[in-house]
Amino acid sequence: MMVLEIIEYIIRLILSPPIFAPIIYPGLVTVLVILLSIIWVERKIAAKVQLRYGPLYVSKPIGGALQMLADATRFFFQEIIVPRDADSIAFLIAPAASLVLPLLPIVFVPAAPSFVAISVEYSLPLVLAISALTPIVIIVMAWAANNKFTIIGGIREAFMVIAYELSLFISALAMAIFYGTLNLEDIVSMQKSLPGVILNPLAAITFFVAMVMATSRLPFDIVEGEQEIVAGPFTEYTGILYGLVMGAGYVQLYILCLVFVELFLSGWYPYIGLLGEIYPALGGVSLFIKAYLLMVFIVFLRSVYGRYRLDQAISIGWKSLLPLSLASVFLSLGLLAAGVVI
Amino acid sequence: MSILSSVKRHIDAISTGLKYLFASSRMTVRYPEYSITLRDNYRGMIRYYKDKCISCSLCARICPADAIKMYRKAGEKKMYPGINYQRCIFCGFCVSICPADALEHTPVHDIAWESLEEMIFPPEEFGREWVSPALEEGARRVKAVFDEKRGLTHVPE
Amino acid sequence: MEQSSLTFRYKELERAWDGEKVYEVFIGPQHPASGHMRFIVRLDGDIIVNVEPDIGYVHRTMEKLAETKEYIKSIPLFERATIIDSNNITLGYVRALEKLLGIEVPPRARYLRTLLSEINRIASHLYGLGLAGIFINHSTMFMWGFGDREIWLQLAEELTGARLTHTYSIPGGVRSDLPQDFKDRALKAIRYMERRLKDYMKIFFNNPVTVARYKDIGILKKEDAKRLGIVGPNLRASGVRYDARLVEDYGAYREIDFEVPVREEGDALSRLLLRIDEIKISMDIIRQVLEKIPDGPILAEKYLRLIPPKLRKTMEETGRVKFPGLFASLRPPPGEATARVEMGHGEVFYHIISDGSPKPYRVRIVTPSFRNLLLLRYLPVGHRFMDFPAIYGSVDYFPPEADR
Repeated sequence: MMVLEIIEYIIRLILSPPIFAPIIYPGLVTVLVILLSIIWVERKIAAKVQLRYGPLYVSKPIGGALQMLADATRFFFQEIIVPRDADSIAFLIAPAASLVLPLLPIVFVPAAPSFVAISVEYSLPLVLAISALTPIVIIVMAWAANNKFTIIGGIREAFMVIAYELSLFISALAMAIFYGTLNLEDIVSMQKSLPGVILNPLAAITFFVAMVMATSRLPFDIVEGEQEIVAGPFTEYTGILYGLVMGAGYVQLYILCLVFVELFLSGWYPYIGLLGEIYPALGGVSLFIKAYLLMVFIVFLRSVYGRYRLDQAISIGWKSLLPLSLASVFLSLGLLAAGVVI
Repeated sequence: MSILSSVKRHIDAISTGLKYLFASSRMTVRYPEYSITLRDNYRGMIRYYKDKCISCSLCARICPADAIKMYRKAGEKKMYPGINYQRCIFCGFCVSICPADALEHTPVHDIAWESLEEMIFPPEEFGREWVSPALEEGARRVKAVFDEKRGLTHVPE
Repeated sequence: MEQSSLTFRYKELERAWDGEKVYEVFIGPQHPASGHMRFIVRLDGDIIVNVEPDIGYVHRTMEKLAETKEYIKSIPLFERATIIDSNNITLGYVRALEKLLGIEVPPRARYLRTLLSEINRIASHLYGLGLAGIFINHSTMFMWGFGDREIWLQLAEELTGARLTHTYSIPGGVRSDLPQDFKDRALKAIRYMERRLKDYMKIFFNNPVTVARYKDIGILKKEDAKRLGIVGPNLRASGVRYDARLVEDYGAYREIDFEVPVREEGDALSRLLLRIDEIKISMDIIRQVLEKIPDGPILAEKYLRLIPPKLRKTMEETGRVKFPGLFASLRPPPGEATARVEMGHGEVFYHIISDGSPKPYRVRIVTPSFRNLLLLRYLPVGHRFMDFPAIYGSVDYFPPEADR
């Protein structure tokens, strides 16, 4: 009897939103699945555009989908080398922090109506603020490794942050102004009939480009800049430490894609009530699908673009994105003034 | 560049990428499962016909990589060529200069050895027939076909 | 003065980099984008103040090796200087040797040499453009360039029997005749390539990111190009109409109607676009060669006579040339000869000195990459660090060729 009760208790505990959200969906387990799948998708897409096969021979019947599992296993057992001149404590801690920090905001991101680990009024600025902490860790990483290439990479990261961060925040605020709330859940619920991208396309474009910049995806993968600085701040990392920093970018991409969908693509609508009855989080599955498709599109850009130069990216940030984001704020104010009400 | 033309170029680039994402054309030949049939004039492994050889040693003299060496058996007067595939660069000079047509290229090139010693072939073994190991293990033969739309494709024979 | 502008800027900056302010970065020899060489790049902030190309990592003493070999054995040797452009680089040697030997090449052989030279040129340009793509991390351009190069390698393989190391041109002619179905296949390849070039333009050359990265970067002025002795597409992109195919009478170029493309801008983008222009011209030359190619022998009469009649018969049947035994020890009379040939990367120059023995007394090669190397020292100065790979990619520098 006792055993059954304990099992039941554990199941109830896991299924309660404050545990289920950060651990299973949209939290850790989902993130792991995304990490393992999106890199495979990215490589497959690039291969298709480039008239190749991509990963195939690891698990051939399913098109090499287990390739990332094989790579991760290899990362785990590879020797970790700490350079003699590196600041070893910072060098070892930074990769873990770089994976955890972008993962943290997940507790504030609602996955379905009233399904969130920690419900706060100000979830939008909180999510953005926490995900804006990652660059600091990357700079620490670059400094700790004490290598010329990593230091150049760290400086590039610092430059990139000032280029995109302001526009990212302002364009998100433009939506908050229009909907009159900083709560992501409320913002989504107001988009039930009309997604925000139609009302304020300027903010959507700005947020999208700033998001691509923030996650170092092409055409803005300047920080890693393989052709000049080998792997940027990650040059000295080996084994699982490199695996962590490589994964961190994708985690951040996932979180920002969730935020994008909730701001502009009406979040979990259309809500699937049938699934929602089984378990509340399942009803919001369209949020996940939309976010995943958005991620697929962003990783597809790898096969279309080269890399912008650092100064070009900064001038895009300041000369194009910032005015656009300000314009989107005025657009929101204009819409409010014109009496557009959802 | 004006904003409009820049936007058009972005769209052009992305749509071209999408076109190739959904079109079905791949250049890769998955080698161990598929093997390209080489044409008759391919300069592959060299086969030696001792019965035709007149022991003129021109092949050994013209070899730019010193891969061919003349061997003499104890008690025999004539010398016959042997080859060292560690050195051979498959230029085919030996085949071209042979006045008796005793050397011949075979359209096989995917041979690998486990040790360097195995790559040396004295006259007796120089005459062996070459078979592609991929074909031996059941690779499907494909041949190169030119196509106006898809470029170089490899179709099963 | 316009002419000395580059030098002036360079000297000014040379003074500045001798201090603590300058950040020294070693690109290569183990680096994702260095090739077989090293660059010592000195940066002031993000601006390049000095580049020292450190070459010689793939030096194979080719000139000295050639002195130890019979004349014909050096053909496969020099081929390995620029393996991606092997007929063009050996053609210069073969032509100089023919001059020493006093041999006339039959017309059909001249046309066939031109055919393979142009196939090589296209493959070499696609290789260079693919690398120019990956230097700004455009992996699709890289894969496409290398993938479509395979088509031209396949054509070359069908003609010569080898993908890269063709060893096709020999003193007095070429080693094999056109296969039966070659014309049909080559024309299909050309039509495919013309179609593909449009997609190349869309995804890479007109892509705003590429334009931003390559346009107005590493501008080489006409005067500087002349003064530094630059050759090939890099020279022609700066507005100088110079091409060894125009100034030397070799191959079938005098009988073919073609235009050498020239661009005026002299920046990195125009260097890349010029290669696209040249691919188009080369495809046109291939069409004309296949149209106009005359019948006849593919080896000089002087050597044909030395081949036994029975072998001559097999030669006609298989279309593959047999060498006369004389080839093993060609003995040109004492003297000197020079020859120039336009390769994909530019003009290659050969100087052979013969002392009458079966081995050359001296062979001097001046390869186009060696001459273009200067650009990597001068062009990046004053640009941003991220421009360095872009400039490197636009110059189409090939280290094994420069190092020999």
